Amino acid sequence: MMTLWDASGGQTVMVTSLDPAIDLSVSSRLREMGLDCGDPVLCLRRGPFQGTLVVAIADCVYSLEQHIARKIQVKPL
Amino acid sequence: MKRIILVGKPNSGKSLLFNQLTGLRQKVANFPGVTVELKSGKFEQYQLIDFPGAYSMSTLTRDEEIAVEKINQALLDQQTALIICNLDATRLQSSLMFGMQMQAMAQRYGKPMVFALNMIDEVARFGHQIDVAALSKDLGAPVYAISAKTLEGIAEFKTAVLQDAEQAATEINAEDTAALPALDFSEQVKQSRLLAAKYGIQSTVVLKHQNAIDSFMLSNLSGGIAFLLVMFLLFQSIFTFATPLMDAVETVIGSIASFVTDLTGPGMLADFLNDAIFGGLGSFLVFVPQIMVLTLIIGMLEDSGYLARAALICHKPLSYFGLSGRSFIPFLSAHACAIPAIMAARTIESPRKRLITMLTIPLMSCSARLPVYALLVAVLIPDTRYLGGLVNLQGVAFFGLYFFGIVTALLVSLVLSRSSLNDDAKSDMPFILELPTYRLPHWKPLIHRVTNSAKQFVYRAGPVIFMVSLGIWVLGYFPTGAGGLQDSYLGMMGHWIEPLFAPLGLDWRYGVAILMSFLAREVFVGALGTLFGMDGADENIAGLAANIQADGLTFGAGMGILLFYVVALQCVATVATLKAETGSTKLVTGLVIGYGALAYLLAMLCAQLL
Ligand SMILES: Nc1nc2c(ncn2[C@@H]2O[C@H](COP(=O)(O)OP(=O)(O)O)[C@@H](O)[C@H]2O)c(=O)[nH]1
Repeated sequence: MMTLWDASGGQTVMVTSLDPAIDLSVSSRLREMGLDCGDPVLCLRRGPFQGTLVVAIADCVYSLEQHIARKIQVKPL
Repeated sequence: MKRIILVGKPNSGKSLLFNQLTGLRQKVANFPGVTVELKSGKFEQYQLIDFPGAYSMSTLTRDEEIAVEKINQALLDQQTALIICNLDATRLQSSLMFGMQMQAMAQRYGKPMVFALNMIDEVARFGHQIDVAALSKDLGAPVYAISAKTLEGIAEFKTAVLQDAEQAATEINAEDTAALPALDFSEQVKQSRLLAAKYGIQSTVVLKHQNAIDSFMLSNLSGGIAFLLVMFLLFQSIFTFATPLMDAVETVIGSIASFVTDLTGPGMLADFLNDAIFGGLGSFLVFVPQIMVLTLIIGMLEDSGYLARAALICHKPLSYFGLSGRSFIPFLSAHACAIPAIMAARTIESPRKRLITMLTIPLMSCSARLPVYALLVAVLIPDTRYLGGLVNLQGVAFFGLYFFGIVTALLVSLVLSRSSLNDDAKSDMPFILELPTYRLPHWKPLIHRVTNSAKQFVYRAGPVIFMVSLGIWVLGYFPTGAGGLQDSYLGMMGHWIEPLFAPLGLDWRYGVAILMSFLAREVFVGALGTLFGMDGADENIAGLAANIQADGLTFGAGMGILLFYVVALQCVATVATLKAETGSTKLVTGLVIGYGALAYLLAMLCAQLL
C-alpha cells in the first residue's frame, strides 16, 4: 500500500484513504485542507534530513512530518 | 466605542491591512497579565481589533483555540458592529475555507460581515482577473477588492466599510444561540472549493515562484548553507551594524553630560548627575541600537517568509531533543524577548513539546542580556578584525554566548523530554506547517516595529534602572561623600554579601550589580556604571569598559559573569508569563532555582579554572 510518504519529488498522487487511527480533529483538518479521498496532491520535495515532506495541496504548500504522511494512503495519478 | 473586528487565515495580509486602516496608531498588548496578543487601533469612530489568524474553526493548536474562543466572544458582544474577513485573493480556496466558516458563524449570531479581497495587485500581476461582483453575489456578502500594499481600492473600502458598519446587527437571543448545536462546516468547505475553482487563479501559477526559491532554500546542501549563513549574519550584524549607532548615542550622552555638569559646577548635584544619571542610565541607553538591529533582522526574516522554511529545516534535528520544528520560531524570537516568544509557543502542535519549548525559552539570550554581554565582551575580548572587517572577534564571542545558550536549551530539552513531564495521550499532534510565499518585507510596519521595540525596552527597564541607580548612588554617597564608596552604607552592605561572590572571583560591587539585576538584567550595567563612576576619579562616563579593565577584572571571573547571565532566569516578567502559560507555580519555581544553581556553578567553574 503506497502512502504519501512514499511519493517522490515531482510526483502527483491521489488520496485514497486516511488511516482511521488519526485523531479525529487532525483528520478533519486534513480533509478541510484538501486531503480528502480523491484529492490530488503534488509532492514537491523532501525536506532536508528526510525529516519532512513538502507538498502542494489545493493552493497552499505545506510541510508534513513522516509520522502523519505515513498515515495517508495514496495512489499514483 | 463600537468595534470592528478583523479576521482571516494566517499570511493573508491581515496585519498590513490593519496597519493601513489604523495608520499604525495601534497598541500592542503583549506584556504580562494580557493573555492574548490582540492589536487594537482607532479606525474613524470605531475601534478596530486584529484577531489572531486561524485556518479553520475546528482547532488544532492552542493559538487557534484562543483565536476561535475570542471570535466567539466577539460574536456575542453587543459592541461588535462589523466583521471584516480578510481573504488572500491569490489563494481563494484556503482563504474562503476559513472565511465561509466565519460567515456561517456571523450569520448565526446576526452580525454583518464583509470580505476584503486582499493582494489584488498580485492577482493582476499573474494576469488574472476576479469577477468581484459575481463573487459577492455567490457569497451573499459585500466583497471589496483591495491591496494593502499598493493601497489600490483602500479609500473606497474605508468608505464602504464605514457604511456597512452602520447597518444594525440583527437582534438575537444570545442564550438561545449558545444552546444550538455546534455548526457542521462541511457545506462551507465544499462551497469554498467550488468558488475557488470558479474565480481563483490556478495554484500552479501562484506557487511557481515560491517553488523555484524553495528548490534552493530547502535542498540538503544549499538549504543548509543558507540557513547557517542567515543565522551567522543575524548574530554578527547585531555587533557590526549597531556599532556606529552605539558610538553616536555614546557621543550624544557624553556631550549632554559635560554640558550639564558645566552648568551646575562641582558639588553634590554634579556628582549625582554624573554618576547616577549619566553613568547609570546613560550606559544602558547605549545598547538600544543593538536591540533595534536585532528586531529589524528578525522582523525581516519573518516578513520574507523564510522563518517557516527555517522551522522545516530544523524539524528533524529538533525532534531528537524532544522538540518540534515549530519550536524554532519561538526560540528565535526569544533572542529579542522571552515574553512574546513564550506566547508564540502556542502554535506548537503538541502540548508536551510546547511545554518543553516554553521552559527552555529563557535560556535564549534575550535583548536584555545584550548590554551585559556587550560590556563584558568589550572588557575581555580584543577588538580584532579578520577578512577585511567582516568577521570581528568580539562578534564571534557574542555568537559563542548565544550559541552556549542554545546548546544549554537543547540539553535541558533532552532531559525534560526523557522525563515523564505532561505525558498525556493528546501529546501527539502532527507537525503540519504552511510555507507562505516569499515576499519582500514592507518597510513601513517594519520600521514601526523597530522603533516600538526600542521604546518598549526603554520604558520597561528605564524606570527600574533609574530607581536602582538612584538607590545605589544614595547608599554609596553617604555618609562619607564623594570618593568614599568603600566606607559608605552600600560598601558596608556589600561586604556582607561578599562571601557569596568570592568563589566566583568577584568583589562586592559586582555582587550588588548581579543581585540588583534580578529585577531586570539590564540593571547590571546601570548599577555597575554608577558604582564605577563613584569609585573612579575618571569623569569619562563613556569608558565603563575601560574602567572595569583598569580595575583588573580577571578573564575567568568575567567569563563566569557572562555564563551566569546566559543561564540564570533573572526576569520577573518572564516568570509571570511562564506561570500564566503553564499554570504551575511549582514548575516555574523549580525552573528559577534550577537555572540559578546551574548558573552559579558554571560561573564558579569559570572563575576557578580559566
Ligand atoms: N503584494 C502584496 N503583498 C501584501 C499585501 N498585503 C500584505 N502583503 C504582504 O504579505 C505578507 C504577509 O502579510 P501580513 O500582513 O503579515 O499577513 P497576516 O499573517 O495575515 O497578518 C507581508 O510580507 C506583506 O507585506 C498586498 O495587498 N499585496
